[in-house]
Amino acid sequence: MTSQTAASAHLRNVNKFYGPFQALKDVSLDIPPGKVTCLIGPSGSGKSTLLRCINVLELYDSGEVRIDDQLIGYDSPGGKVMAANRLREMRREIGMVFQQFNLWPHMTALQNVAEGLERVRGLKRPEAQARAREALAKVGLADKEDNHPSHLSGGQQQRVAIARAIAMEPRIMLFDEPTSALDPELVGEVLGVMKQLAAEGMTMVVVTHEMGFAAHVADRVVFMERGEIVATGSPRDVFNNPTDPRLASFLQGYRERNSLDF
Amino acid sequence: MTEIIQRYGPDLLTGFGYTILSWALGTLLGLVLGFMIEIARRFGPAFLRYPIRAYVEFVRGTPFLVQLFVLYYGGPLIGLRLDALPAGILGLTIYGSAYFTEILRAGFDAVPVGQVEAARAIGFRNTTIITRIMVPVMMVSALPALVNFAIILTKETVILSMITVPEIMFQTQTMMSETFAFVAPILILALFFWGFVELISRFGRRLERRFTHYLLDRS
Ligand SMILES: Nc1ncnc2c1ncn2[C@@H]1O[C@H](COP(=O)(O)OP(=O)(O)O)[C@@H](O)[C@H]1O
Ligand SMILES: [Mg+2]
Repeated sequence: MTSQTAASAHLRNVNKFYGPFQALKDVSLDIPPGKVTCLIGPSGSGKSTLLRCINVLELYDSGEVRIDDQLIGYDSPGGKVMAANRLREMRREIGMVFQQFNLWPHMTALQNVAEGLERVRGLKRPEAQARAREALAKVGLADKEDNHPSHLSGGQQQRVAIARAIAMEPRIMLFDEPTSALDPELVGEVLGVMKQLAAEGMTMVVVTHEMGFAAHVADRVVFMERGEIVATGSPRDVFNNPTDPRLASFLQGYRERNSLDF
Repeated sequence: MTEIIQRYGPDLLTGFGYTILSWALGTLLGLVLGFMIEIARRFGPAFLRYPIRAYVEFVRGTPFLVQLFVLYYGGPLIGLRLDALPAGILGLTIYGSAYFTEILRAGFDAVPVGQVEAARAIGFRNTTIITRIMVPVMMVSALPALVNFAIILTKETVILSMITVPEIMFQTQTMMSETFAFVAPILILALFFWGFVELISRFGRRLERRFTHYLLDRS
């Protein structure tokens, strides 16, 4: 299903304010194509904000965000806000998965996945449904297509949400704490689907508290604190040899809370 | 009694007809206008917000009868010369729109932000988000209030008699003044509204089931 080439994303000196509060401080980050980049850091450090600036669910105030080499959010660096239709076009390339799943409750699993194919990609209903079925099969939910979200477990809902995103054939996928709202026993099925996507070469940016997932699946780990990127590196560098004291104390705290090693 | 009904039967039927017609059009147009006002307030330019608030406060803050008089007797002063029926329907439309818009506002507010963001992230246009996501989702919470206000509007229609719309109140009043009968006209009026409201609430419950079917256990 990931027939198109994976996209890269690039942030250059991105700043984001909420009123007087600065949520992102001069953030620069390159997200390589076809790789998994995990964002970790304490709550409130700006991880979601960074992720949401990539598909402009939040409009950054200054700097540049690019998908491959195309600027998103503004017409030109420091220029006018991008026209709505142009932004919609660019968003088609970017899939997003949310902590709270955000499925549409009045639609079945199949309709949730097919809706975007019909309304955004303009496919005829039978074609849209056929592709939606493929996507549901891929996340292991072929038999649940007629269920409404209220009749799916959290893990199943999140897998439908992933199917909804991948059915659009995005070239990059954003995950904002995709397993944080799940009961522990349901986390595995969602991470499993994500691993499969990673193995297929999807560009993935994953905000996560699942250090195990970050350690084993990420190609790169980015540690944020107070709106800044404090450390970046391979999982080995970040988890085993944290040079930055703030990163070291974050990991220490995590280990103590979870009393486990990775 | 039967004699009265024979004599006034046709007039009463005409009255029922006008009541139902003005209620149906007033409610429908009021809902449409209320929806447009809410969309303008929510998605339109900021400068519309204050006039919209003033409109809603004015309509909700004055009696329907006063609004109707202003429209029917005051209208001609500004060149708006309407017959009684169109004036009555327009009055109901305006009156209803202010309440409907507030009900819809609460409904829109209750749509989880994340569900809208999910649609934006996929690339839906605003109109699609409104019609395909927001409206169906909010109907679960808004529909009972909408139906309730539609029922309240059935009873506001009697005020149209004050500007000579020949609806059921107008007919029964005529009947009373001509026959000095009291019980029969009031009884007819009461029975009519009872049946009318019952019909609307049944229809409302059916609509509610349609919009909430996914909440019921059936899988
Ligand atoms: N819409 C908003 N309005 C005001 N402040 C916000 C908003 N969204 C986030 N923030 C603030 O920005 C900071 C970063 O938030 P967020 O990116 O959600 O952090 P994280 O995802 O790392 O927990 C937090 O301090 C949060 O309170
Ligand atoms: Mg967050």
